[in-house]
Amino acid sequence: MKNIAIEFKNVSKSYSISRHKYRRITDDISLAFKKVLTKEQRSLVDEKFYALKNVSFQVDGGMNLGIIGKNGAGKSTILKLISKITYPDSGNINVNGRIGAFIELGAGLHPELSGRENIYLYGAILGMKKREVDEKFRDIVKFSELEKFLDTPIKRYSSGMYARLGFSVVSFMNPDILLIDEVLAVGDKNFQEKCLLKMEEFAKGSKSIVFISHNLDAIKKICNWVILLDRGQIKASGKPEKVISSYLSNYADKNL
Amino acid sequence: MIKYLKKLFGSRELLIALTKREIKIRYKQTTLGAIWAILQPLSLMVIFTVVFSVFLKVDSQGVPYPLFSFSALLPWTFFATSISFGALSVINNSSLVSKVYFPREVLPLASLGAALLDFGISGVIFLGFIFWYKTQLTLQILWVFPIIATEIVFIAALLFFLSSLVVLWRDLKFIVPLVVQVWMYTTPVIYPISRVPENFRALYTLNPMAIVIDSFRRVTIMGKPPVLPELGTAIVVSVILFTAGYAFFKLKERVFADII
Repeated sequence: MKNIAIEFKNVSKSYSISRHKYRRITDDISLAFKKVLTKEQRSLVDEKFYALKNVSFQVDGGMNLGIIGKNGAGKSTILKLISKITYPDSGNINVNGRIGAFIELGAGLHPELSGRENIYLYGAILGMKKREVDEKFRDIVKFSELEKFLDTPIKRYSSGMYARLGFSVVSFMNPDILLIDEVLAVGDKNFQEKCLLKMEEFAKGSKSIVFISHNLDAIKKICNWVILLDRGQIKASGKPEKVISSYLSNYADKNL
Repeated sequence: MIKYLKKLFGSRELLIALTKREIKIRYKQTTLGAIWAILQPLSLMVIFTVVFSVFLKVDSQGVPYPLFSFSALLPWTFFATSISFGALSVINNSSLVSKVYFPREVLPLASLGAALLDFGISGVIFLGFIFWYKTQLTLQILWVFPIIATEIVFIAALLFFLSSLVVLWRDLKFIVPLVVQVWMYTTPVIYPISRVPENFRALYTLNPMAIVIDSFRRVTIMGKPPVLPELGTAIVVSVILFTAGYAFFKLKERVFADII
């Protein structure tokens, strides 16, 4: 029996792009009065941008999904929805299993704390128990190659060191579903290779990866299924070679 | 609600980690470090003693005024610190909220936890004062545990409302400190509760902080038990607000990442 790791059913997600970034108290109060006086139902902040429109797909256990598309196609929104950082306007999302997300460089790390303290803090934020981090601590440090800088506040780290620390913790939390958003852009060649190897190793097991990247070679290496997104809709899905070549022929030239 | 509380219990390690982080960061690169936790209520005590005892001769019910005011400043500072840090806890961690998933209520609760530690440190100083003034400690002091528990529940309730509302309305950032300041005067910090006119008393004691502070003072330095009907009211009000606040927070939590 196939077990489903992630299921999206007709998922739509919009963001408000009104003039004011934040709602003001006065807006809400005047709106409340308007509603009472004129029975007007329209909200002030109605201008919307659809990041995802009616997206449906399914990831089975052991499947490694790659998501490609231009900037603003909705790739990162999908990861945010899977990890429950944000919620859809409509549609259903089912996720089974522990999620390990590496969505943005340095999120969850605190600049004032040392590398050691950050490993524990980030582990806790990702839902690891302290005992678990204790057990894996040496492996995490070894993988990150930051032995020398463990007790330095990480505000003194370079961005490559940030990425190494973050990725190392995520990759050792042993999730059922690994979400990776374009992390290979930072770090030197050597560490990129190491991350890819780690991901390939992970990809071979019964667990799932959702991988976003503009690095199409990396996608080909890791993924066995690819979705092509364009302006919030799925334009193509299938075997990596097929989708990637159609992406290259149809989109890349217009993009350039 | 039970479901949420269970989940929150599952995140206790995260709560501890974030509380530790908050404590470490607060005093990082300061020279005096945790001494600041004591200096705050201590300096207020000195000012209050000069102004209200020496100048204005406020009645402190036979207790030395420094002790009288410190016994209230202790739970009051705990309240004020928790609220001022906790209300901003969600927006101050915006990068965390918009990029990692975890139960968001641990953020305000971590501020509360850090303030609780400050409270403990000042508590030791308070004990020192009690011995210095040769005040008789009685078994009534055991009441501090339910009293502080009530205060914690009440603060958590307020923080659930405030920290989520600040995300929606940034204006609150400026309103909160103002309200906290005014609130101190509706609470028997400077004066004894007995000076509140009888016809205001029922309204006055609806404020759980008034009861918490009066009870704390009674059991620590006056050797008297708390007024049970009043403490009961405070507990009921706090628990109701906590339930409502938690539900509200959980409802609003879903849009945090989109707005923040």
